[in-house]
Amino acid sequence: MSQRHNGGADNPRHLGRREWLSALGIGGIATLSGCVGGEDEEDEAGGDEDRDTYDTAAAASFETLNPIYNTENGAGNAIARALDQGYTFNEDNEVVPLLYDLSTEDGAVWTFEVRDNLEFSDPYGQVTAEDFVYLIQEVHQSDWANSAATINWGGVDVEQTGELEFQATLESPNLLWPETFDPLLYPIPRDLIEPYVEDEDVEGMQQDEELLELTFSGNLGPYVMDEWNRGSGTQYSRNDDYYLQEADDLPDEFDDAPYFEGGSITYLEEQSSRLGALETGEVDSAAIPPERYEEYDNRDDVYVNQVPTPYNTILSVNMRDNGWNTGPGNLFRYKEFRQAVNASISKQELIDGVYRGLAQPHYTWQPRFTDFYPGDDDLPQFGMGDEYGREFARDLAQEAIDQSEYDYEFDGDELVDPDGNQVELDIYHSAGQETSQLTAEFISEEMGENLGIDVNVEAIDGTRFGEEFWTADPAEDGLTDEVNGEEVSWDTDVSPGPNNPGPRSATSNEDWDMSIVYGLNTYPRNPLTNQVFFDGANAQYNPVGYYPEFDAESLFADMRQATDRDELISILEELFINLAEEQPYIMLLFSDDLIGYREGLEGPIENFSNGWDLPVWTYE
Amino acid sequence: MATKKPERFDQVDWSELSESGRLDLSINSIGMVITSLPVVLLGLYDWRFIGDRTDTFEFIGLSRNLESLDYFFIFTLLLFFFYLILPLAQNPRMTKYYWKEFKRNRPAVVSLGWLLIVFAGGLLGPLVISAPEQDILIGHQPPVFLSVDAANVANCVGDIVGGQCQGTWEYPLGTTRGGKSVFTSIIYGMTISMQIAFITTTIVAAIGISFGTVSAYAGGWVDEVLMRFVDIILSFPTLLMFLLILYIYGAGLGMFILVFSLFAWGGTARYVRSKSLSVSEEEYIKASRISGASTYRVVRKHVVPNTASSIITQLTLLIPGFLLAEAQLAFLGLGDSNIPSWGQLISAGRSDLAFAPWIVLAPGIVLFLTILAFNFLGDALLDALNPEAEAESE
Amino acid sequence: MGLGRYITARVAWAAVVSLIIVTITFVLLAAAPNPSIREAATQAALQGGDPAAAAERERELRGLNEPLHVRYLDFLQSVYTLDWGWSQHRSQPVTEALWEGLYYTAQYSIPWTILTVILGPIVGVYSAANMYSWKDHAATGFAFFGYAIPNFFFGIILLLIFGVWLDVIPVVYDTSVPLFSLDNVIQLIIPVFVLVTGSIGATMRVSRNESAEFQNSDFMKTAKAKGVSPLRAYAYHVMRPTLVPLSTTLVGQLLALFLGSSLLVEVVFGIPGLGRLTFDALVAQDTNLVLGATLVFTFIAVVGNLVEDLVFTILDPRISYDDR
Repeated sequence: MSQRHNGGADNPRHLGRREWLSALGIGGIATLSGCVGGEDEEDEAGGDEDRDTYDTAAAASFETLNPIYNTENGAGNAIARALDQGYTFNEDNEVVPLLYDLSTEDGAVWTFEVRDNLEFSDPYGQVTAEDFVYLIQEVHQSDWANSAATINWGGVDVEQTGELEFQATLESPNLLWPETFDPLLYPIPRDLIEPYVEDEDVEGMQQDEELLELTFSGNLGPYVMDEWNRGSGTQYSRNDDYYLQEADDLPDEFDDAPYFEGGSITYLEEQSSRLGALETGEVDSAAIPPERYEEYDNRDDVYVNQVPTPYNTILSVNMRDNGWNTGPGNLFRYKEFRQAVNASISKQELIDGVYRGLAQPHYTWQPRFTDFYPGDDDLPQFGMGDEYGREFARDLAQEAIDQSEYDYEFDGDELVDPDGNQVELDIYHSAGQETSQLTAEFISEEMGENLGIDVNVEAIDGTRFGEEFWTADPAEDGLTDEVNGEEVSWDTDVSPGPNNPGPRSATSNEDWDMSIVYGLNTYPRNPLTNQVFFDGANAQYNPVGYYPEFDAESLFADMRQATDRDELISILEELFINLAEEQPYIMLLFSDDLIGYREGLEGPIENFSNGWDLPVWTYE
Repeated sequence: MATKKPERFDQVDWSELSESGRLDLSINSIGMVITSLPVVLLGLYDWRFIGDRTDTFEFIGLSRNLESLDYFFIFTLLLFFFYLILPLAQNPRMTKYYWKEFKRNRPAVVSLGWLLIVFAGGLLGPLVISAPEQDILIGHQPPVFLSVDAANVANCVGDIVGGQCQGTWEYPLGTTRGGKSVFTSIIYGMTISMQIAFITTTIVAAIGISFGTVSAYAGGWVDEVLMRFVDIILSFPTLLMFLLILYIYGAGLGMFILVFSLFAWGGTARYVRSKSLSVSEEEYIKASRISGASTYRVVRKHVVPNTASSIITQLTLLIPGFLLAEAQLAFLGLGDSNIPSWGQLISAGRSDLAFAPWIVLAPGIVLFLTILAFNFLGDALLDALNPEAEAESE
Repeated sequence: MGLGRYITARVAWAAVVSLIIVTITFVLLAAAPNPSIREAATQAALQGGDPAAAAERERELRGLNEPLHVRYLDFLQSVYTLDWGWSQHRSQPVTEALWEGLYYTAQYSIPWTILTVILGPIVGVYSAANMYSWKDHAATGFAFFGYAIPNFFFGIILLLIFGVWLDVIPVVYDTSVPLFSLDNVIQLIIPVFVLVTGSIGATMRVSRNESAEFQNSDFMKTAKAKGVSPLRAYAYHVMRPTLVPLSTTLVGQLLALFLGSSLLVEVVFGIPGLGRLTFDALVAQDTNLVLGATLVFTFIAVVGNLVEDLVFTILDPRISYDDR
């Protein structure tokens, strides 16, 4: 879990959350338990007999519960108990309409149909299309409110077409628009936010008591939030009028949902406290660390689910000018050398040792469980089986060296630079994260043994790494560099930003060689989103200075034009085969979420969508 | 200890007293200068002439690299030797007297023994035992004679008896999650603890004593200004400062030692000041002032030596605080995880406490014993140097 | 300068010290990178927006685009009007957040302080009365045990033993139990115990050493000779004079512990008190809350030092305030 929490998205403490909101998806209640980062779900129910409340624990406190401004994963779960969002995804990755149903003909014009039995608390009345349209146009699309969803609604033309219906027109068609989570909305009463909108009062809206305490939630969530104690957590009681009880299009179990009388989320920072609480029955579910999986799985009172995730563990190698600080000629720039690095690290041993076998090898930019995964046969599998080992890695490295103008060579065991000194590189990992440290030290040993490179392990605070190493001050617009024989300019689509400051000559403040501080999301529901990483050398997110050697840009252009899913899949497969070959980041593994539940709890599934139907969870 | 105090009146070195020059170097100072010179030179050599990544002793084939912290540590060890150990040897009579007093307190003797073990382990251990190495496949091995559920261990090094993995002599105190030997890590942690103890003490003593004596002796507005400055230091939010430095510049063990000792001398300065105030009221100080000794000389030759014993006691009681602070920071995840300190070991093992308690218990107990030993030692020194209370009580 | 003027000057200086420290804190925080700005910029870049504009928007949102001195003056003004701003990290006013933290901190620190103040001197005097006997050694051993065992380490172990293995205390600190209830007592026993063992050592040692002097004093011998009961003799002739020097060190000792160990104990036991609140605010770089908490802690420390100084000056006639 720590990996997720701290390496999940691109910045451990701060960015992960928004990532989650905008892309990974809090399908309403969907992520309650499965997709939670650094967050443990535990139902306490106060011991074995008393199982009529659903209680969980959070590893960190909530910054805000204001639905307009929340960008945090954990707080999103706390809100989700009391307030549904537009739709979610079930275990088959199909859209499940909650507040509204989305439909489209061509991917460009999307129609939202709002349910007719949605009620805010008094005095705000029924939820209508007007509330949503007002929220989008006056808050999300305004230039003053700076709401969490602002980024999702740029360039979308919204129009109310009926009492309970509105339309959104996209700039360019996107068949997977719901999968981007962009059209996901919270219901917010127009009358509540109108005064702030008129005064353009951001602070007022952020600090509004009703928004923070969710007192307007009416029948819009399975529970009603009773209290938010800033120091200890949230308390809920059952919402007897939950609107999904009347829904015909959902499974029958929803007719009586929710099945618990109440619930709570408690902050428990210490992992040992969370596990201790699980053991004593004070809470009935918690994230389990890999080394204790077997132990808990063998217990009678707990069962453990292994849930695959789309967050990867990668070794980022710096291809910019401030990388490869051991000598001239950055070898990371040759894909053969990146392959060699990958082939020098035993994925199997890493998975067995650090993750106790509870992780999946990572070959290309997509987990195995998606439709878009090309299949193992088509992919090189560096670091596994025959494609792992000293000889294999050294042959690949030699290929890279042959292309380099500098005289690197293998001298006995050591890889030496043109001056005859052993190549020495640094690897950074998150301070205070044991998994991260173990992985870094393992990589250091493997690269030393198989590639003859002396790797120094350095711990660093995630915030500092983000500020000084990973991101940089953007260079001026319009710098160009030759990529793959073509000239690429850094102002065509987006201006240079902190995450892609420009060509390889644009660098962050501090030099660095390799890092495992951040993992990234591989966007399994909507892999098109991966264009932020790989859409050419000037893609929006490219801190490592990766220049694709295949025509990534035209692949992404084709995908945006694709008119049906099969076409999309075949282009994506081509993309992923190329990425597996190129290793823009050295792909290591996907760690699994291990979640322990009290025996008898029905509902959890071993699937990425775990928790989408939380209101119908119950004890036998 | 008050080793500078002439033992008997007839042994007072009048020639020394009559010299008023400032370069009156004793044999101790000469030894100090002579031995620290090579260290300084080596440091310069390390800094100027060899690259960051080259080991300091590569030219003689040793692969031990020295960090700036190590240089400082060696320097403080020399200080300690020339101004504490050597004077004791130079004054066998006084030493014998102190030892006799000290020996009566048995816990203190045991404590001294333990601290000597830690000290020797910290100095010599890294030379004879190679650094703890990670091997992720042998994580969570139990200590020798103990066993753990095989489900919690990746690969058991010892025998598996009835589903229980047995400990082996290869890892006498078991291993961490990463497969590092806990025993070796504790030995290496001794070095860190000794570095913390010696370096912080030196910094705190240097600043605290200077401020305290100057303040006490100068009096007037100087005293006022210095003591008000101490007020600020005493109320300064050190943790906040450290955290901000950590975020902006990154901070390792060196920074920890620097920041925490730079804000920890307030108490010492106050203490030294009040001690010096009472000492400077003594007749012999007045006498030497009347005989024309300079202020510097009076402070250096009389005030400092005569408060030395109580200062040493006070410093001894300060060291455990630093060891604790390091462990606490490590516990909060703010420590320097590149170093094998006891605190790091405790914090690394705390989530495995329920099934692998040795990772926390072994370094925790060592830390506990070390802090305890420093306390007993300080307490014994206090008793030995306060003979009045003792004499009356018998 | 008379005593009155000395005290006035001392109090005025205490106010200056707190102002200086708060200023330093303000400058430090202003110099620290603000993660939320970078976050906004990164997010905008990731989504194809303009990172510079997003950063600017965020800066404006947080009032960070004002010049430093304007922000400082604003800040000073609000400090003295008790308008300490909004805690971004907890979404509530800073003063409210601090009150909430104090509410939980007080629940364990009041019993802790009372126990330390009462038990420390008693054990110390008892120890002195039986100096060098096994009772003295046992008391000394206990005091040193408590002092030497790191609080957080001790706490974790007790929690493991009593919470998880024996299951007699709850692992999860429950904020919803009533203040005066058995449940609250049960969940606070271990934290208070850990803290008392940690702090009692110092008090005990000081009182032991101080009272040793009075133990054999003439007035004590007289009292014994007169046939005063030992209890009464100790209470009147040893305890009372011991408390005078003790009180001068006690304040400082307790303050140091209060600032240092309360955080660790709160983290270990999951108590949402002041220490954890401050630490979380620091980690989240919630400027307003950090400044508010710093103000509170600085205030406590400055007042503590002040009281110690005044008591020392008044009680010890040897130190004259005239020529200082």
